[in-house]
Amino acid sequence: MRDVVVIGVGMTRFGKFLERGMPDLGREAVWNAIGDAGIPPRDIRIAYVANALGYQLTELKGTIGQHVLAAAGFFGIPIVNVENACSSGSTALRGACLEVASGNCDVALALGVEKLFCEDTARSALAMASGTPYAKFGFMFPALYAMSLKKWMDRYGVTQRHFARVAAKNSHNGSLNPNAQFRKALTVGEILASRVIAYPLTLYMCSTMGDGAAAAIVATRDAAKRYTSKPLIEVAACELVSGTVNFPGTPHVPLETRAARLAYEKAGIGPEDINVAEVHDGMAPAEMLIYEELGLCREGEAARLVDEEMTAITGSIPVNPSGGLTAKGHPVGATGLAQVAEIVWQLRGEAGPRQVKDPKVGLTENAGGWVIDDNAACAVTILKR
Amino acid sequence: MKTRVPFREGLFEEKGGKGALLGARCRSCGQVIFPPAEACPNCRGKDLETVRLGNKGKLYTYTIVHMKAEHFAPPYAVGWIELPEGVRVFSQVRGWQEQPLETGMDMALSFEKLWEEGDREAIGYVFRPAGKGGA
Repeated sequence: MRDVVVIGVGMTRFGKFLERGMPDLGREAVWNAIGDAGIPPRDIRIAYVANALGYQLTELKGTIGQHVLAAAGFFGIPIVNVENACSSGSTALRGACLEVASGNCDVALALGVEKLFCEDTARSALAMASGTPYAKFGFMFPALYAMSLKKWMDRYGVTQRHFARVAAKNSHNGSLNPNAQFRKALTVGEILASRVIAYPLTLYMCSTMGDGAAAAIVATRDAAKRYTSKPLIEVAACELVSGTVNFPGTPHVPLETRAARLAYEKAGIGPEDINVAEVHDGMAPAEMLIYEELGLCREGEAARLVDEEMTAITGSIPVNPSGGLTAKGHPVGATGLAQVAEIVWQLRGEAGPRQVKDPKVGLTENAGGWVIDDNAACAVTILKR
Repeated sequence: MKTRVPFREGLFEEKGGKGALLGARCRSCGQVIFPPAEACPNCRGKDLETVRLGNKGKLYTYTIVHMKAEHFAPPYAVGWIELPEGVRVFSQVRGWQEQPLETGMDMALSFEKLWEEGDREAIGYVFRPAGKGGA
């Protein structure tokens, strides 16, 4: 297999754009990535396009990738449509990387695009709950997150205040990010005082609906040198797993941990080598569980990371410098590729006011969906300068 | 009089509020699962038998939800209940206003109306705190 590098990334701002359709959003992200890579569009030979809910919420009912990329001027090349709920974006990146690594092509595109806002907010909310077959029974993501957080609080003496501090950190980071949906920095007090959604979650700890797109262009090292003089960012690993069944009484390894172990092994590094991470905080407090699941700290130590502000932009292991899903926004299919864009900017030193100090290795974690009692899918990507 | 229908087929047997959850036991590895399935998620065996699960369990974790659901007006409680057969069941939890919920408490199964749709009543399983000495 050949080495794969990211040569260009791009995204739209995330937010509520009632007047913009997916082709319009997708085109902006793709053209931004093309501009960033300095590549003639014709040199892109294969594309993977991620989208989760467009067939339910927009007029596009199939072959969404072909419709969206047509708006950006792409015809004729193989286009693969990808749906893996919230982890669709990373799954598309994995496909594009494998095409390049295997020798099928020298340059490939991964695009994630999503449009959740429509005139009827209730319809959007229902579509977002459709990831589980028991939604009618009250089986919804905030409740699932709340229950696992409750269990974890009981076990390790973590408090709701810790969760508010993580949300405040991400809100602050989002305030520094021109692409973020929410740019007002919220205080711990404001977060704790916001409406309870499902204890311990309050409104400002939860991600909400969003529209947007993000893209990455990947290539072989040789091809990359023809287009760009920017630092090449190697995709050292892009690993994907599905959930397992969590039988009581038998040890259950969370799928985030399984994906991370595969990624560390492939990249030949350990969690101690990670300098910056973008993780899937559908609810901001879940970020604390993810610290432990990825091995960024030992089990039971997440509260100390928060107390000592180690995951702030200025800390020793910054997490979600972009603001994460709760502040930057979570247009489902675009999320994984927006995480990758942030890490690429961080590794190149292009992240402006939210720049982490001189990172060499970054990680993204992107989980989605739900089957029985675990997430449906999870991808962990490791990027190296 | 509204027609009583199960909210989903194949998950339980019920008559007049009494009944049992239906799980499946794998004849190869012995694993019990809920909801029942045609293949064992533990060993991938295909030889499974339907079993009636016990009607008592322990509250593994829970939350009170203040967000609107299609059929439930907030606030309502949901939880995972661990059954002695070694399975966890996601369920609506009722009776929490009368008896505050605590992780690990004894819970009892009951079958109740979940919602109404036109002339039909959707019946489903719920768990309630079992109370001192069991309900």
